[in-house]
Amino acid sequence: MRITANTSSENALYNIQQGRARLDKINELISSGQNINRPSDDPISSNLLLGVADKIQSGDQYMSNISKSQIQLKITNTAIQGMTDTLKLAKTLANTLVNGSTDAGVISSAVNQLQSLKQQMVDMGNMQYGDTYIFGGADNTTAPFSATAPYYSGDETTLKVEIGKATNQQINIPGNQILTADTAASQPYGNINVFQAFDDLIAAVTANNVPAIIISSQALSDGSKQVTSAQNDILTRIVRLDSAEKMNTNNKNTLLTIAGNIQNVDYAKLGVELTQQQTAFNASLSATAKITQLSLLDYL
Amino acid sequence: MGLSTALEIGKSGLTIYRVATEVTSQNIANVNTPGYSRQRIILESAPPTTANGFPLGSGVRIGSVERYYDGLIQKQLVNAQTTQGFDTTKSNVLQQIEPTFNEVANDGLGTAIADFFGSWQDLSLNPAGSTERQTVITRAQLLVDNFHSVSSALTDAATTQDQSLVPLVNDMNVTLQSIAKLNGQIRYTEQSSGNANEMRDQRDQLVRDLSKQTGISFTENSDGTTDVVFKDTGAALVTGSNFGTFSLTVNAGKYDINLAPVGGASAVVTPSVVSGSLGATIALRDTIIPGYLAQVDSLASTIATQVNTIHQGGRDLVGANGLPVFNTSGSAATITLNPAITRTTIAAAAGAPAVFAAGDNSNALLLAQLKGANTMAGNTTTFNSFFSSMVSTIGLDVQSSKNTVSQDEAFVKQLAALRESSSGVSLDEELANLIKYQRSYQASAKLISTASDMLDIALNMVR
Repeated sequence: MRITANTSSENALYNIQQGRARLDKINELISSGQNINRPSDDPISSNLLLGVADKIQSGDQYMSNISKSQIQLKITNTAIQGMTDTLKLAKTLANTLVNGSTDAGVISSAVNQLQSLKQQMVDMGNMQYGDTYIFGGADNTTAPFSATAPYYSGDETTLKVEIGKATNQQINIPGNQILTADTAASQPYGNINVFQAFDDLIAAVTANNVPAIIISSQALSDGSKQVTSAQNDILTRIVRLDSAEKMNTNNKNTLLTIAGNIQNVDYAKLGVELTQQQTAFNASLSATAKITQLSLLDYL
Repeated sequence: MGLSTALEIGKSGLTIYRVATEVTSQNIANVNTPGYSRQRIILESAPPTTANGFPLGSGVRIGSVERYYDGLIQKQLVNAQTTQGFDTTKSNVLQQIEPTFNEVANDGLGTAIADFFGSWQDLSLNPAGSTERQTVITRAQLLVDNFHSVSSALTDAATTQDQSLVPLVNDMNVTLQSIAKLNGQIRYTEQSSGNANEMRDQRDQLVRDLSKQTGISFTENSDGTTDVVFKDTGAALVTGSNFGTFSLTVNAGKYDINLAPVGGASAVVTPSVVSGSLGATIALRDTIIPGYLAQVDSLASTIATQVNTIHQGGRDLVGANGLPVFNTSGSAATITLNPAITRTTIAAAAGAPAVFAAGDNSNALLLAQLKGANTMAGNTTTFNSFFSSMVSTIGLDVQSSKNTVSQDEAFVKQLAALRESSSGVSLDEELANLIKYQRSYQASAKLISTASDMLDIALNMVR
């Protein structure tokens, strides 16, 4: 093949261009730290990366849902703990009254204490998280409990949030299931109306009706069990959320590792490649400069 | 026959080698001229005389001045450049579109979709919260904005392709006209005297230029002219010194390409144009970009329909029926947020129970879960997976077009090197020739001075 000076310079240009393009590519990889900077760099892997990113985003959303749900459940737990404590006090008080008393001072003091304990129960039932009454079901913008019958004005809607793909967790307990369960459509913890028990006890103590005191203090005791059972439910949910959180974290770590394996560049490898390319590029520049200088003109 | 013959032969040598250095200098001067083919002088012995009793040549004469030209390489170059023209145009435009879908490096439509459904997740945790409600509306607006931006990026790219037809067609017309004109001049020149090498070079270069723009085939005629045929339809573009003309007419907001072939009437050829950068421009405008756009449109309309259906099944913060969130006529360009969705109370988080309650989150939950539902492509994939696979499809298109272009470049470079090998000017060779001609010129001069000396001697004899 006949080679002219132009053939050499065309070849040199083409190869220098290729060398520059390779150097530029290595430079891009090193400076961005990412193997894939646009979908066309590796369409298959970029699809995988987008899938992983989407899953991580969903996971982050579930984590946020879980931590918010946990706050609400913990507040619910605190409120129920308060109810349990109050009911314990009420039970102790009721136990001192099971034999009846004719002393007007004792009766009046007991009634006062019972009424204030009942009011405490109402207050606990009206516990808020943000602007939301946690025991109101879906009807949670106004206080669900009052001291007078029918005591409960919320509804029985259960609120669920998503804590994993297609996995929902109930984050509330409608107040009537805990405290006015006799009228609740669903009675997972019991069927006692705690406020009714309070009112019955107060009436019985006022009338010094010993059999009625015994019956209503028993109802109060059952109510206490009902509240404890609801608390257990809440605690179980908190445990479930904890484990869901751990699973989500593990999941995220795995996904990040997958993405990292695809996306993170190997600096050592790139460093070596860069040196190789630099050497090759230098050589091609130097060879080009030397060859293009050669001409018969210099010898004529 | 006498000494004067030797003088004549010397004179012819001087003249011819002067011409030879002219050819050499023409080659040297055009060493970098695109399309130039090196020329050589063909020397032949002048007709013999028998004055001496035997035949002896009467010096040297110029047979012709030829150019080095390989018709086969020209044909291969023309074909290769048509492919390169198509692939390069396609690759360039696809690379311009790619950043719009570069979800790997930037947040774009995919993130906007995920964020929109994420905001419903947040609302499901606090159905009455005004911040959460505001976020839902803002995210919906951002989603709409993203659809608009992707859609207009694609539409703009298609419009740019449409507009680029104007300069492209003008350029082709000028080239066709120049080829025809050069054909005429070549025929005229060659009928009267020798080869019109430079004009042939110019014309061949124009044919190669034209081949980048659209697919052509050509035939070289014995009278020196080259006929050019439009490969996509077989119509004659140049016949001798006559040429056809491309023109554009507007049809439904887009340009249609018309071709009036040599001696024929103008007719629409748009659907047949498939090769060269003209073919790529049409393919991008009519097939490739609208294909992407259709996918974005289907994503936009499915999201709008699905979200609207669920949203309308719910109740807003004051218990009214949910309104459609999006107004859509089925395209990403026209999707908008329902103008009635302005107040934060509007977002319908609650389900539709017998008795309304503001704290109900069941509808928000349904909307949030729509993200993970298989709603796209015949209910086989989620919104985000659909978009991701679209991104990777575009990535694949760009990647394969880039690869094709580098193959084309290597192939054309190889052919160009072959052409350069036969037709390119080598300075070393020309310089060697120059010395050769210089020495021959010197020798011819010496011949004349020797003959002159001999003549002197002969004349002195009779003095």
